[in-house]
Amino acid sequence: MIQRSWKIGGIALLAYVFWTTFTVPLGPGLLELRNLERAAVVDGVDQKVSAYELIGLGTHWASRPDDLSVVLRKKENLTALTVVEVIDDTHAVIGLTLPDTIPSRSWDVLINHPVDGTLFLQNGLFLDGVSVDETATLTDLALTEFPSDLPHHFPFQPRIFETIRNLMLHVPMWFTMFLLMGIAFIASIRQLSQTAGGSSLFDLRAEASVQVGMVFGVLGLLTGSLWARYTWGAWWVDDPQLNGALVTVLVYAGYLILRGSVEDERLKARLSAVYNLFAFVILMILLMVLPRFTESLHPGKGGNPGFNSYDLDSSLRAVFYPAVLGWMLLGTWMYRIRLQATQLNQKLHRLNDQ
Amino acid sequence: MSQPMSALSNIRFLLQHAIRVELRNRHGIAGLLVFAVAAVYTCYQATGTHAEQESWNALAWVVLLFAGFNAVSKPWADDNEGVRAFLVHTVRPQDWLIARTLYYMLLLGAVSTVTFAAFLLFLGMDHLSGWTAVHYYAGVLLTSTALATLLAMIQALASRAGGGFSLIAVLGLPLIIPVILVSTRYGSDLMRGIAFGDTAHHLLFLATLSAGFSALGYILFPYLWRD
Repeated sequence: MIQRSWKIGGIALLAYVFWTTFTVPLGPGLLELRNLERAAVVDGVDQKVSAYELIGLGTHWASRPDDLSVVLRKKENLTALTVVEVIDDTHAVIGLTLPDTIPSRSWDVLINHPVDGTLFLQNGLFLDGVSVDETATLTDLALTEFPSDLPHHFPFQPRIFETIRNLMLHVPMWFTMFLLMGIAFIASIRQLSQTAGGSSLFDLRAEASVQVGMVFGVLGLLTGSLWARYTWGAWWVDDPQLNGALVTVLVYAGYLILRGSVEDERLKARLSAVYNLFAFVILMILLMVLPRFTESLHPGKGGNPGFNSYDLDSSLRAVFYPAVLGWMLLGTWMYRIRLQATQLNQKLHRLNDQ
Repeated sequence: MSQPMSALSNIRFLLQHAIRVELRNRHGIAGLLVFAVAAVYTCYQATGTHAEQESWNALAWVVLLFAGFNAVSKPWADDNEGVRAFLVHTVRPQDWLIARTLYYMLLLGAVSTVTFAAFLLFLGMDHLSGWTAVHYYAGVLLTSTALATLLAMIQALASRAGGGFSLIAVLGLPLIIPVILVSTRYGSDLMRGIAFGDTAHHLLFLATLSAGFSALGYILFPYLWRD
């Protein structure tokens, strides 16, 4: 029972992860502030006010339309906008009255709503045909930020939207692959440090973990490619992290090809262990050092490939860490099954030969 | 051999021997140079002297990379089982690896120098002038050094495994990608007119990679070598 408990635990974790990944709703956010190119009617009087349509995603404005307030912000400058009409949960018409001289052309848009809390659209408004004076000030209110009054949800991220769920699938693939390649690395060290004529048990371990690791690497590439298509607009982009991932998969494919081209068991064990150690160290250089020198599209950019800088809030962490642990347990389990299968196959061959 | 030879004289002897064998059989190296010049001439036929910066850079590195790969992929007298069995008992494996790495550095340095010269001759120096060409050439030499340190190990591994050229390519090309990433970026930086001082860290990185490859090879080669 104890032997099985970690397997059961892994499956339970993955079941929890899959359930929450696909059922937890996405939090509300702002998509855009669109110029309607017409004058708005405020308080029944036709003023010189331009109308904008504010579009949200997953917001709940219709539930309490009177409590929606919209604010423009540029550094310390804050100014309130008039909410002309709340059309539905995600659409509202906003009236914009501004003095002739304002401090900036581009403004951040904030909204306050008792259900959604304070939402934020960076550089959401760009004004043409106004005179800009950076010394001008425009502050007619103090902003108090609301917490949202919503059940458990994933954070809204611009451009990522619903695909934030991919975090639970894409990132753990790489973590699991690294774990398995680490197992292979240690097995290769032990294979080489045996005295001459030792068994090839460690070699079989290295082979099994690389085979399973390759599955996770390919899945990582596929999930990443899908995500890149959605957020960056292309199936493949030039990014140090992607180069590293591709090289990793190619290197281990080379490892498996090398194994296939050597007949002698002992020579195969030694040569593939040497190549594995060589490759693993270079991959470490490639994935840990090289991305720090170049810019990356990946989160945590500015040269830091670490994952701490992901915008992980508590709702993501509650799923992400179990996901990493669950996938790692599943990967280890797969590796052990693969190892047993290889060993049984070998035994079968030996019996056949006798 | 009544007296044990010192490591240094061993290395010198092995290196001299390799060069002597190479020069005795001149058609080998002539074949490499014809391959390289023919590749350059193909590029010239396709683009003329007016290749865009990016194409110039890309073609230069593709030709240099494959000329280098071609140079190390020809079989060696030492790969023969009998010769290896003799060497295993007479030379420290590390000495042999160092000698072979040095030999590859010379060979690849020569091949890439000729290739680069042919490239400048045929495809023109519109994008490189004066010192920029010298800096570019420094990058070419360091890249061939990095290739030499990596491929000395990979070639020995592939020949031990009994695979031919395809195995060297399969094992070596993925590992060489980091080097190519750095070199191509360095080349395009120079061509875009970025000052040498601001892009010289790429050279440092190439040197670091070479040192890393050498150190790894030095540690791991004995396991590859023994029976």
